[in-house]
Amino acid sequence: MKVRFILTMAWYYGIKTILRGPSYIVASLATPLTLLFLVFVLSHGALVKFAVIGGLIAFVGSVGLSGAGDSAFFRLQLRIQDLYVSSSIKPFDYMIAFTLSYLVFAIPGIILYVYLGEVYRLFNLYDSIIMILLMLSLIITTTSISFIISSSIKHLRNIWGITGIITIITSILPPTFYPYYYVPKDFLYIIALSPTTPAAVIAQGAFGLSPMMNSMVYILIIETAVYLILARFLVRWREN
Amino acid sequence: MISISNLTKVYSKNKIALNVGYQDIDKGIISIIGQNGAGKTTLLRILSTQLKATSGDAFIDGISVTREYNKIRKKIVSIPQEAAPIGILTSYEQIFMYLTARGFSFHSAREEANIALKKVGLYDARNRPTDELSGGMKRKMFVAMALASNADTVFLDEPTTGLDPLSRMEVWSAIKELRGNVILTTHYMEEAEELSKKIYMMDSGKFIGSGSIDELLLPLKGKIRIESRERLDNSYNIGTLYVKYIDSKDLSYYEGKYYSIKKVTIEDLFIIIGVDLES
Repeated sequence: MKVRFILTMAWYYGIKTILRGPSYIVASLATPLTLLFLVFVLSHGALVKFAVIGGLIAFVGSVGLSGAGDSAFFRLQLRIQDLYVSSSIKPFDYMIAFTLSYLVFAIPGIILYVYLGEVYRLFNLYDSIIMILLMLSLIITTTSISFIISSSIKHLRNIWGITGIITIITSILPPTFYPYYYVPKDFLYIIALSPTTPAAVIAQGAFGLSPMMNSMVYILIIETAVYLILARFLVRWREN
Repeated sequence: MISISNLTKVYSKNKIALNVGYQDIDKGIISIIGQNGAGKTTLLRILSTQLKATSGDAFIDGISVTREYNKIRKKIVSIPQEAAPIGILTSYEQIFMYLTARGFSFHSAREEANIALKKVGLYDARNRPTDELSGGMKRKMFVAMALASNADTVFLDEPTTGLDPLSRMEVWSAIKELRGNVILTTHYMEEAEELSKKIYMMDSGKFIGSGSIDELLLPLKGKIRIESRERLDNSYNIGTLYVKYIDSKDLSYYEGKYYSIKKVTIEDLFIIIGVDLES
């Protein structure tokens, strides 16, 4: 594994992007913060704790999914992927470098949500560890999904629409901003295909907002492994 | 040296993009010229392990590009056609990052990136995000990347396409700084003449000739090019133009009439190869 490359990319494409293009951070936070505000208003504050935790999950998930646009843009428009194919890095190094970049890029947003969590007295040390594990799992699964999608895209014009649809399906449809028990159980298992669903259900259980659903822990662990393995084999590197 | 052996690339619907039998490509700075769709980019992408061949093989210094691609990748750099930098990052950062991908330590990546940026004249602009650089500077950044890599073989796919004449000259001077073997594709004939000692010509996925400029122009030796808007016997029709090649001794017949008279260049080879003669 090319650790130096992974760290360099995370530094440049994570930190430098934040410093040189802070509007990207604001844009990526706009949707979850708007939904948080709407939930606060519509529920008269009753569901705001759900929306804070769910907002954090939706934010990290959407940052990971935005990788589909970036990696397709790098491959089809900038031709940067071809440049790296001819170097000695492996596709997995490239994907992990992207994943770490997005995790770094998400830090300001995570800090904001942690602050909101503090305002609503949501976090303690134990919950924070669970939340960190959930964030790691989410960024791995969503970046893997991003790379699988972007690899199958032939024309750049399609990627923005597809990413937009998938971001909505994975960040707003699942019970990120509302209690998971509002959703019929069968439907909950269907939308559990999106990693944000088990992450949100686990978080709601861990933070004492809803009853814990242990099956979702197993689902998230399996999904993390499966999406990572799928990406490992489906990501197109050297073209056919 | 690069040796090609029965290399083919067939896309879906049986579209043959490349069909090269046996061909050796010399060391040094080499140009591959050909019209759009001649197969230059396909060949370069296969040689630089970006694209899988349908059949056959090619060898760079005896190493197979289809089977030993991990070994090949340590020896080559390939700058794709129309490659563009990541706009938010500086040229220094992108070269540094690329060098770490090639296994350089942080220290040597820093050193080599700075040396290369100085050589191509980009050092003063090294800390500017590349979306603020001109087209020529962006292309020079990629040449600096190849330079800093110290690779044995560098592939440059149409390195100056879309640049203005001055920017092209700047990129040429940067390319001349490259060590080792350089294989570049172009459809600018003057670029091939300027940069390489040997030129390979491609058409319809095949090599159709190779040699120095003088050797390639041998079929047109002693000829002069006549252009007219009116139809000429035994001429080549290109759009609204008719092109005819005459012996220089017959020039007096055409002088003083409404003909444009030009010296033949390597460009004319593509006319006689690619355009049907009208009788």
